[in-house]
Amino acid sequence: MEQGTNGVLVEARGLVKDYPMGDGYFHALRGVDFTVHRGEFVAIMGPSGSGKSTLLHILGCLDTPTAGEYILEGAAVHTLSPDELANLRNEKIGFVFQTFFLLPRANAVENVELPLIYARVPPGERHRKAMDSLRFLSLDGHAHHRPNQLSGGQRQQIAIARALVNNPTLILADEPTGNLDTTTSTNIMGLLKKLNEMGHTLVLVTHEADIAAYARRLVRIRDGRIVSDETVRR
Amino acid sequence: MKNEVKRRLFGFWGTAAELIRIALRAILANKMRSFLTVLGIIIGVLAVVAVVSIMQGVFQSILGDFEALGGDTMFIRPNWEMFQERIEGIRRLQLTYEDAQALARDVPQAKEVCPFVLHSDSIAYHGRHDSSQVVGTMESYSGMYSFYPELGRFLAPMDVAARRKVCVIGQDILDKLALPTQCLGTEIQIGRGSYLIVGVLEKKGARFGQSQDDQVFIPLTTAIVQYGPETARNIFIGVQVHDAARMDQAVERISNVLRREHGLRAGATDDFRIFTSEELQRQIKKFTSISTLIVAAIVSITLVVGGIGIMNIMLVSVTERTREIGIRMAVGARRRHILYQFLIESVTLSTLGGVLGLGCGAGLAHLVVWLLRSTVAETFPPAYIPIWVILSSLAFAAFTGAIFGVYPAMKASRLDPIDALRYE
Repeated sequence: MEQGTNGVLVEARGLVKDYPMGDGYFHALRGVDFTVHRGEFVAIMGPSGSGKSTLLHILGCLDTPTAGEYILEGAAVHTLSPDELANLRNEKIGFVFQTFFLLPRANAVENVELPLIYARVPPGERHRKAMDSLRFLSLDGHAHHRPNQLSGGQRQQIAIARALVNNPTLILADEPTGNLDTTTSTNIMGLLKKLNEMGHTLVLVTHEADIAAYARRLVRIRDGRIVSDETVRR
Repeated sequence: MKNEVKRRLFGFWGTAAELIRIALRAILANKMRSFLTVLGIIIGVLAVVAVVSIMQGVFQSILGDFEALGGDTMFIRPNWEMFQERIEGIRRLQLTYEDAQALARDVPQAKEVCPFVLHSDSIAYHGRHDSSQVVGTMESYSGMYSFYPELGRFLAPMDVAARRKVCVIGQDILDKLALPTQCLGTEIQIGRGSYLIVGVLEKKGARFGQSQDDQVFIPLTTAIVQYGPETARNIFIGVQVHDAARMDQAVERISNVLRREHGLRAGATDDFRIFTSEELQRQIKKFTSISTLIVAAIVSITLVVGGIGIMNIMLVSVTERTREIGIRMAVGARRRHILYQFLIESVTLSTLGGVLGLGCGAGLAHLVVWLLRSTVAETFPPAYIPIWVILSSLAFAAFTGAIFGVYPAMKASRLDPIDALRYE
């Protein structure tokens, strides 16, 4: 790798995640070591139940590992309290989900403003930043539309605008094209690729090879273990 | 750096305003359900406000009547409370005509001393029967309590001295007995006696919710003859002093004279009670505030029922909005943001309910008073809503929302972000 240790953004060692299930446990992750450098675009691929979403949730500070260490930009995430995790999600992480997860009663710009509310950004500045983010995605014309007035692709773009608005250090996408048709998927993936080219660090989870092909590095995961990790050559 | 300063300024109140905005949106998104949720609070506040404002209206009018009595008069009656404690006290428990005479003679501070007796009795004229309050008194009553004749005259010293069977009537009596307009010189029946009308009083209106025009005045001496010697030992005495500022001196002097007249030894309890209008107002105020509090406390139990309604719906709301909570947490809402969001929602909801209840309660109070006035009680005092009722009912509604909103809000804030996002 050309980046030095200074370029390490995500460093996970021996991540284990067990879920109680019936009498025993379901082992979602069985010891994962995973490093992401600044500026990378990583795709995590695997069949359903392989643990890829669990890994992404832990990387996004939404979930905590049962065992193992996770260092995000020098912060030992595995030792933090729920509120500290919330702060990290707010300041450092931008999430893009398969089903968009927009607030149905709020319009586009209000949805994009949401992370800034919890960052305690004053209303005027908040609105300006949200509009900037929408404008970047050429969605400013839809600022006052509610999610149900927009197409799936537009909704996902709103969600991306929301992920970008607080200028996160890490963007995480969980099957971002899972609910979209092929043309729209191509657009969304083109957009994510563009973000990476602008310098954003992205980690993407998918089970589709042609989606994973947009990334520059491909990690395959199966039964809670990483089975391969390679640079994609184009 | 500049942003950090702004952020700090925005701080708490900015966040609170934000949360209230979010709460209002959630409440308005589901108007019907929000309304049904706070119906309990609305009815609770409505009941408290309606009952308390009608009571306050009555009390205000009573207090106003006492103020109209004037600061220079006092009222003396036997100490009935003592009668309840000590049955053997009966024989001495009396105020007599002689007591009144002693006061007039020995209390220099007194401008007027006016003994009177009250008796409910039947009245009749030309086959019409009714009943009224009969006041046996003296000429000084007129000036002391402002009863002035419109026709004829008030009672005169001669009437009292000669035990004449004459009477002065209030305006209501004219209607009650269907008397002719020129009724002076007409004889009416009061109880067993026949009385000559010598005067008709000016219309006075109501005091303490009772018409002051529904009274018949006869000489005190005549009343004692008609109602028996026992009457002469159960009189009331009104005293008007020269100087209202020296009321205390007068009260002390009167007390000494009466104790001497009644032969009370030092240390014995007074067998009479003296009420200045100030003292009466103080007692009425004490009574009214206690009774208002008791009634308000009883009625506010309905608010608890309202609070349970709020808790119920807020719990449903938290479950329904699990996904929303998950989204908010995913983008960085801390537990306390979620807690405050739902808490403020329930407080906003219940406060809005309080406002509605306040409006409806005030409306109901006025409606009830209007109905009473147009049917059974024309003189019923208007409802009165003091500021403290408005503030405390809103505060109580908000408080109910806070108390019953805590549990659902805590439940919401304790959700795990991943579980909340996955919730279908």
